[in-house]
Amino acid sequence: MGFSSRIGDFFVVAFPADVRILWDVLSLDSLELSLPASERPLLSDINLHLPGGHFGAIVGPSGCGKSTLLKTIAGILPHTAGTIRWDGRNLDERDLAPHELGYVPQFTCAQPRLTVRENLAYAARLRRSGSAAEIAELVEQIEAETGLADLHDRRAGVLSGGQLRRLGLAMELTTSPSLFLADEVTSGLDPKSEEEITLLLQGLARQPGRLVLLVTHSLRFLDRYDSITVLTGGRLAFCSRPTDLCGYFGANSPEEIYPLLAQRDPANWGEEWVSSPEELGFEAEAVVEEIATEMTRPETGVSAQLPGLVSQTTTWFGRRLKLFFRDPAQAVLQLALLLVFPAVVTLFAWNGLPNVKNMTMSPATNAFQQLKDALDFTSQSAKISTLVSGLAMFQVILLALMGSNNAAREVVGDRAILEKEKLAGLRPAAALLGMIGFLSLLVLVQSGWMTLFVRAVGQFPGDLFAQFLPFALVTAAVTSLCLGISSWTSSSEQASLGSLYLVGFQLPLSGAILALPEVLGWVVRPWISAYWAWSGYLQTLRDTRFYDLVRAVTETPLAGSEISAWMLTLHLVLGLICAFFGIRRSDWR
Amino acid sequence: MSRRAHRKPSPALWLAFFAAFSLLGGLGAFFFQKDGDPYRTVERLKPEDYYENANSLKGNTYQVEGTIANSLGWSQEKGRLFSFRVQHGGRDRPLPLLIPPRFREINLQKGQKYRLKVRVNDAALLEVEEMSKA
Repeated sequence: MGFSSRIGDFFVVAFPADVRILWDVLSLDSLELSLPASERPLLSDINLHLPGGHFGAIVGPSGCGKSTLLKTIAGILPHTAGTIRWDGRNLDERDLAPHELGYVPQFTCAQPRLTVRENLAYAARLRRSGSAAEIAELVEQIEAETGLADLHDRRAGVLSGGQLRRLGLAMELTTSPSLFLADEVTSGLDPKSEEEITLLLQGLARQPGRLVLLVTHSLRFLDRYDSITVLTGGRLAFCSRPTDLCGYFGANSPEEIYPLLAQRDPANWGEEWVSSPEELGFEAEAVVEEIATEMTRPETGVSAQLPGLVSQTTTWFGRRLKLFFRDPAQAVLQLALLLVFPAVVTLFAWNGLPNVKNMTMSPATNAFQQLKDALDFTSQSAKISTLVSGLAMFQVILLALMGSNNAAREVVGDRAILEKEKLAGLRPAAALLGMIGFLSLLVLVQSGWMTLFVRAVGQFPGDLFAQFLPFALVTAAVTSLCLGISSWTSSSEQASLGSLYLVGFQLPLSGAILALPEVLGWVVRPWISAYWAWSGYLQTLRDTRFYDLVRAVTETPLAGSEISAWMLTLHLVLGLICAFFGIRRSDWR
Repeated sequence: MSRRAHRKPSPALWLAFFAAFSLLGGLGAFFFQKDGDPYRTVERLKPEDYYENANSLKGNTYQVEGTIANSLGWSQEKGRLFSFRVQHGGRDRPLPLLIPPRFREINLQKGQKYRLKVRVNDAALLEVEEMSKA
């Protein structure tokens, strides 16, 4: 068929009527990764050159840096020295485009409540543009290619370990990436499933121009790979054909290699590999085969271009909505909060707000009568103002609690999947807009129902929309602030606790129960959403006696409706900006 | 474009962000508070001046804030007359307040706090021109 020979970083490939030069598609030169607090670098002096159409394994004892190397190649971890080139391009200057990279992490990226087909369809729609028919055709093709066709209507949550890994690989194929990195995708599988996955990856590596690298603990099926890369203590100890592996280490079987590695310092292994007199090349036939297939590469029907922001947003929103209704526990909890919280508020005014008995205004009444009037009025004022002010604040706090429940886990709960999807091309803005769309629905329903129900049962006077506005804004503001917390915390527990503190401090710092010292009030109030919502709501009662009574008793100054709406809007925007940067930051664990 | 792992918001960005929030909050408070005081261009009435020589103030317009006290009289043509208690110089000073019939829709009760724009009329009473709850 042809002839090939390796010269430095290049392969010279000769066909009967053509001569071509092919370079390594992936080149790592003097790659190093150090952590500021760590004495020893995680990766040191890694030099690796791999061609296209290649299936490589990265092996080594636990903690040797296999996954770290894979994440560094993917751009998830920042290397501190050296260069990574893909197809001749320095990735520090221009990173891998999302469609170029397929990265399958150790955890599953599939949503357990979606079916195999839905997971694939959403993955495809988030990662590449194309009509619905084109996407559907692509999904069916990938299902067939990865052996998932018979499982297409099964939910990911009930798949076996092997099937789930297969689905993870299939989701990456939606963009037909040229660099395919798989991290421990055969770990924990039975030998049959492991062989199936290995064969699947081997088949994928035979696609033109594609490099497949698999990190694995397993030393079974090593002969399936085109190359084996051995790491020890962050150093490259070997990278060549599987047939050279045992000979290089002087071992009788691959299983003997790990104990041998442990006998010497990793730096010695690294130096020995660098000074190895004979550079062990790859099979010339594989390179020739790659060139041949490249020349006859078929055009795919679906463009690998990233979909637009709107398309990604609507896809994300649609999937979030579907997941919400597929999770009965979440839907029931939301419904319970929606019904129980307003009902709890009305327990204190189930018969409507009381009538206000006014003081006699005639100066003709005697002093004793005036004094008695004033005493009765003061006593009544205290009761009614406490009730009205308390009911307003009670609604605000319960809405804030609903807001915190809405968003506390929204980002951090699925952070791993979000990171994976960002790597695959999901824009942080699209994820945030999708979340805003979904959470807006919750906020509108929660604040709308609270306003209507409590107003109807408690027979609150005042304009309906004016009362809805501060409630909707405070729910939205707390939801967005908790979304911000969720995007900056590292666990759901932390996010829930942070959100709970945010709500918990609202009541004492609002001044609705006890007035704050004047200076402290000026410093604290701008940050307390509940204060602005409480003030904004009480302003809607301005033309009633209830407002007079609250004003007569409450020492905390009440803010106007406009400034209240303005401050709540600022809180909302503050939360969203925090959430945007929190979603945008890299947070792989 | 650098690699993904290098993208982090700088502390300067956060500082600028919180400074912008504080500035916007402050600007909002400034503008809305200004907007919330409809009589800010009208001189505040000093009860001492009124007590000293109310006649000399006739025809003048002032703003005054206080609490409705007692009802002193009522006439269909002239309106309602109240005593209106104003805090000034640490003391509670009563002033005579005439509320013309055009405000008859408003339910005035003892203890209500109002901010008023008043004119000292020919009878040297404080006649309300505009009123809003304080």
